[in-house]
Amino acid sequence: MSGFAFRIGIELVVALMVGTGIGWLLDRWWGTEPFLLLLFFFLGAAAGLLNVVRTAREMQKQLASAPVPPSVAVDEDDER
Amino acid sequence: MAGETVENDVGEAAAEIAQHGSEAEHGAAGHSPLEQFQIKRLIPIDIAGIDISFTNSALFMLIAVALVTLFLTYAMHGRAIIPGRLQSIAELSYEFIANMIRENVGSEGRRYFPFIFTLFMFILFGNLLGMIPYSFTYTSHIIVTFALAAVVFIGVTVIGFVRHGAKFLKLFVPSGVPMFLLPLLVMIEILSYLTRPISLSVRLFANMMAGHTMLKVFGGFVVALGVLAGWAPLAFVVALTGLEIGIAFLQAYVFTILTCIYLNDAINLHH
Repeated sequence: MSGFAFRIGIELVVALMVGTGIGWLLDRWWGTEPFLLLLFFFLGAAAGLLNVVRTAREMQKQLASAPVPPSVAVDEDDER
Repeated sequence: MAGETVENDVGEAAAEIAQHGSEAEHGAAGHSPLEQFQIKRLIPIDIAGIDISFTNSALFMLIAVALVTLFLTYAMHGRAIIPGRLQSIAELSYEFIANMIRENVGSEGRRYFPFIFTLFMFILFGNLLGMIPYSFTYTSHIIVTFALAAVVFIGVTVIGFVRHGAKFLKLFVPSGVPMFLLPLLVMIEILSYLTRPISLSVRLFANMMAGHTMLKVFGGFVVALGVLAGWAPLAFVVALTGLEIGIAFLQAYVFTILTCIYLNDAINLHH
């Protein structure tokens, strides 16, 4: 139920956080106050989108190879 | 009270409910739904100023490891050709992980089976142990899941470099991209790679913590609403418990399959 949406959401948020965090750290380290944070915020957003697309593709591949047709059961606990 | 140390919306909401709820149950309802996540020192150990106490978290990790070992050795001790119930479960879990590795990594991944199987069983038993009332869910702590994810991340990176040397860096260079875009895309790819341990750990931790908090909050509703209206949240808690057991399996599965996918990237060098 929550598995798919949750995975995608976390992918996006975490990439943003990691990007912003790295930017903030580099800023503090090199004293280039707001610039790297801003740059890495957007890089993080881009990385997040990349992750989301990859995750979605992976899920699609898994659904396609699943023994049950997707219209019948899109259940995540199909893990035997 | 212990719950006062944790400031949280959920905690406040529960405290409010406790106040408006029945006075008779005040003692029980005064607990925060986050109290279950508290680390308690069982055996304080302090070496050179570093606190390495044996905590309730460590205790449940030990219990999980002992249970997995006991379960697998006991289930397989008969080595029957026609397996019994326990042996079936043990063989099923073995084949489940073996198939997962074969499908996602290929035959090259077979040598990493022991690690991946251990990882799966450790997380699964941690999640399932947490479903027992009054137990502690060590997978609901981000430091535990992050340590697991960091081992996977560092291990996969080392495997990639050992197998491919500097060629491993090709993972960060997408093919068929104009030269002027390449620096930007390489940066994005590296960032995307660095997010892996964080997203891996946050996913497991957030799922477990959210689920367990929700269970406790609705448990609080049952007490607060009393005999008259408490049945509705009680029914919900029952349903939620079933869902949580499902999530316990699902999240162990997701963690393991992502480990396999990362391993595949490192071994076969493509996304």
